[in-house]
Amino acid sequence: MNERWDVVVVGAGPAGLAAAAAAHDRGTSVCVVEREDRPGGILKQCIHDGFGLLRYQDRLTGPEYAHRELSQVRARGIPILTGVFLLAIRRTGRGFGLTLQCPKRGVFELATSSLVAATGCRERTARQVFIPGDRPAGVYPAGLAQRLLNMEGLLPGRRCVVLGSGDIGLIVARRLTLEGATVEGVYEIKAEPSGLDRNLAQCLDDFHIPLYLGATVSRVHGRGRVSAVTVCRVDDRLRPMADTARLVPCDTLIVSVGLIPENEILRGLDVEFDPRTGGPIVDQTLQTSLPGLFSCGNSLQVHDLVDHVSEGGEIAGAAAADHAAGRLPTMGETPAREVRAAGELRQVVPQRIHPALPGRIVLWFRARRTLEASTLTAAWSGKPAPVEEYSSLRPPEMQRVALEYSGQTDHLVLELREVSGNARENGVRAVPA
Amino acid sequence: MGLSAVRASLRRAGLAGINADECRESVVLNGTVPTWQDFVAAGYAAAGKGYRGVVNDVQVEGVDPQSLPVPALSDDVLEGRDFDAVIIGGGIIGCLLARELRRFDITVALLEKEADVGRGVSSRNNGILHPSLAAAPGTRKAAYGTRGNRMYRKLASELGFRLDWSGALYLFPRRWYAALYPLAYRRARRNGEEHMGLLGRADVFHLEPHAWPAQQGGILFPDSGVVAPDQVTIAGADNAVENGARIFLNTAVTGLDVERGRVTAIRTNRGRLRGRVVINAAGVWADRVAELADDRFYTIHPRKGVMAVTDRTLGDFQQRSLGMMWIRGSGHTKGGGVSRTVEGNLLLGPTADEVPGREDYGTSGEELEAVLRRHMPLNDWLRPDHIIAYFAGVRAATFEEDFVVEQSRHLTNLIHVAGIQSPGLTAAPAIAEDVRDLVAAVLRREIPVRPRPEFDPCRKPPPSLSRLTLEERHRLILRDSAYGRIVCRCEEVSEGEVVAAIHSPLPATTVSAVKHRVRTGMGRCQGGFCTPSLLKLIARETATAAAQVTWEGDGSPMLAGDTGE
Repeated sequence: MNERWDVVVVGAGPAGLAAAAAAHDRGTSVCVVEREDRPGGILKQCIHDGFGLLRYQDRLTGPEYAHRELSQVRARGIPILTGVFLLAIRRTGRGFGLTLQCPKRGVFELATSSLVAATGCRERTARQVFIPGDRPAGVYPAGLAQRLLNMEGLLPGRRCVVLGSGDIGLIVARRLTLEGATVEGVYEIKAEPSGLDRNLAQCLDDFHIPLYLGATVSRVHGRGRVSAVTVCRVDDRLRPMADTARLVPCDTLIVSVGLIPENEILRGLDVEFDPRTGGPIVDQTLQTSLPGLFSCGNSLQVHDLVDHVSEGGEIAGAAAADHAAGRLPTMGETPAREVRAAGELRQVVPQRIHPALPGRIVLWFRARRTLEASTLTAAWSGKPAPVEEYSSLRPPEMQRVALEYSGQTDHLVLELREVSGNARENGVRAVPA
Repeated sequence: MGLSAVRASLRRAGLAGINADECRESVVLNGTVPTWQDFVAAGYAAAGKGYRGVVNDVQVEGVDPQSLPVPALSDDVLEGRDFDAVIIGGGIIGCLLARELRRFDITVALLEKEADVGRGVSSRNNGILHPSLAAAPGTRKAAYGTRGNRMYRKLASELGFRLDWSGALYLFPRRWYAALYPLAYRRARRNGEEHMGLLGRADVFHLEPHAWPAQQGGILFPDSGVVAPDQVTIAGADNAVENGARIFLNTAVTGLDVERGRVTAIRTNRGRLRGRVVINAAGVWADRVAELADDRFYTIHPRKGVMAVTDRTLGDFQQRSLGMMWIRGSGHTKGGGVSRTVEGNLLLGPTADEVPGREDYGTSGEELEAVLRRHMPLNDWLRPDHIIAYFAGVRAATFEEDFVVEQSRHLTNLIHVAGIQSPGLTAAPAIAEDVRDLVAAVLRREIPVRPRPEFDPCRKPPPSLSRLTLEERHRLILRDSAYGRIVCRCEEVSEGEVVAAIHSPLPATTVSAVKHRVRTGMGRCQGGFCTPSLLKLIARETATAAAQVTWEGDGSPMLAGDTGE
């Protein structure tokens, strides 16, 4: 087996698969390494539909979407090494040396010119959001509950409370209900839900699961197994108000309080990170500050649509191939242009622009807060030009825009402004006494 | 000294309503007080007045005296069994003692009420092997602490647990603290400490670049280390079992039969057994066990400590244990600090609060804030979002604040090993040695006690991937491919390690037991990724269904069942 590749992709989820196919199409040798036994990443456990509306104009389930992506990789004869765990990455004169292990080969090495990190994300845990109380069995992150339900055929609990209105939490609330469990309610500390509108409607409203906004779980109770949680409303600084506390008997607490890009394997390499996204700082090719290292998918930034993940994977994979083939100009003396987020923008990826690569640039961004009619403008210098108008924007919904870059020497200022009206007022449903 | 001194002391504490009497060389307190703090204050008021100990029977309004918890399990596995030595309690003392006792040709049983050993304070502390500064010279704490500290490196090589002899650094908040160094030096020397050094501010930053920015120098103790205390306890238990000791889990003592000045039988939820010698090493429950034999001469008042732990990547930013020197600490604690675990996590804490609950392992928002506020400044790299987990332990403190390591004065075959709190982990190997000899002396009155030449002090720990070189790892995987399959990605634990843990001498059949042996679920995802694989592996290896696997024994099912039921 070939031990030297032009491109190695770490992770066979949707980002890695798209990157591999794109790299192959640029004429380079490419190999995918995956720690799980089967490719597909988190899509394997997402048996609900709604995937691929943009990329395939179709409503696919997660496994169906993964299958389509996988077929593209298989049709190209790209090897996917499954059950392979990446132990270490080091820089070499010609790119990167990878140390890996797998049951069949033991410890082995791969060398590559370009490396695409598509390592996904992990769930923020109940401990990381500081929910005090006992430590019984029955407190599970939503993604774990989803995996138990959908892949292992195991029911995590019968009477559940969901903390956090992220999409996975909403989808798991519905799955639990369909499996005969009771979901006592979904509690969201913020004044507005974090999940997509369609999930709020299809997962909660359709199943009569109550959503409590401005409310949180302030304590876990139980010896052995969860016996109850204390819920209460929070004040405007998100602190629990003790006088609103109420005990909710349950045997399970499902926690859906956010995702964290997983980049621990890049530790020790000289990679710059963006504290807003939790992923590396990249340019429009999704190349990190370390030449030859590209980042895409949820390890770059947490996405809400897999279609965006696939597009980013293609960009990173194609650029990784160009870098391996010596076709990607080095940054050289010209410093990178910054992409500056202004106005109501919370974050923008890419954060930099490679000055020697004119052409179409894809940018992804999130709004800082819920907005009514608003306009996105771009300014290289002087007068901002409108890019896109939105009738409404919510932080959970990542937006994608494309810009033409013709080699401007200034930094790009991207600004989001509300055109009229105020932020939408959300009806806060109080925790019943 | 005497009752009048106790009563005067109670009056000074504003607790004149409490009645003090003498009973069998101990002072016994009775009465009712409104708060738990009053209960604690009464105990301290009566301590150190010339009595053997304080038996604090004061009632606190609204606080139910807790009774010893008994597992749901009920069978007759132990009915009619006889052992030479029966140890009550599977903490670090009980486990190391069981191992020590098997140096002799005597039969040894250890009874533990939880589903695993080391589930009390033995696994709920910061793992520091302390230097001999904090304990007052002349106390058992000082003597055993110093002796135990010196035994650890040998013990680690015999039992195969990780030990970092990294040193401890106590920082000064003010520059004039340096003037107190001669006092600290004399105290530590009297305790037997040999090596220590005074450091200036720049010296501290040279050793620990991320140390508290406001520090004004400090004292370095090179003879201090860290261990994973749960793993020391487990290693001791495994080696005890390898040497033929019997460990009975889910087994609680419900009664002690006493006749003619000796314990004649031990009643448990699994039957009634006999022991020629009974050792009470029941931790926070030790005084309740003593009460079962009507032999109380001390009171355990639970002192809770909350700790927070970071991801192990933070270990790059600190080498030694860091603590703050305060002339007047907050009561009875060395004040905690930030230590670097053997795996590289930074561990903050513990706090110290008197609480009524002997197994109060919950954490409140205030307790957590207190840990972070107090300890986070010690390392300037630390931020709240580095914390991946937090937990609480309960110290088994007596009002004399010293270890109880002695034979009963009324029952010929009962030995108490109680009040073991900081530096209990450090002291444990020395205590186990002394109690072993105490047990042998008691037994020799009845039977010959000979050395057992087959005793093997060395545990054969199963391989741990993270401790192997790449070459060793490669050869291991080719020999057994299960070591090639990573189950826990955060801590890089393989299926081979999990399977070996499940089948260790003291089998680990719960998620928690496996976690404390191989660290699955201890990393940054806290089990989010590995739990399904772990459930399946435990089910497969113990021939049960995944839906039957528990977190830590009866009453803690991980799942509600299968889907589609």
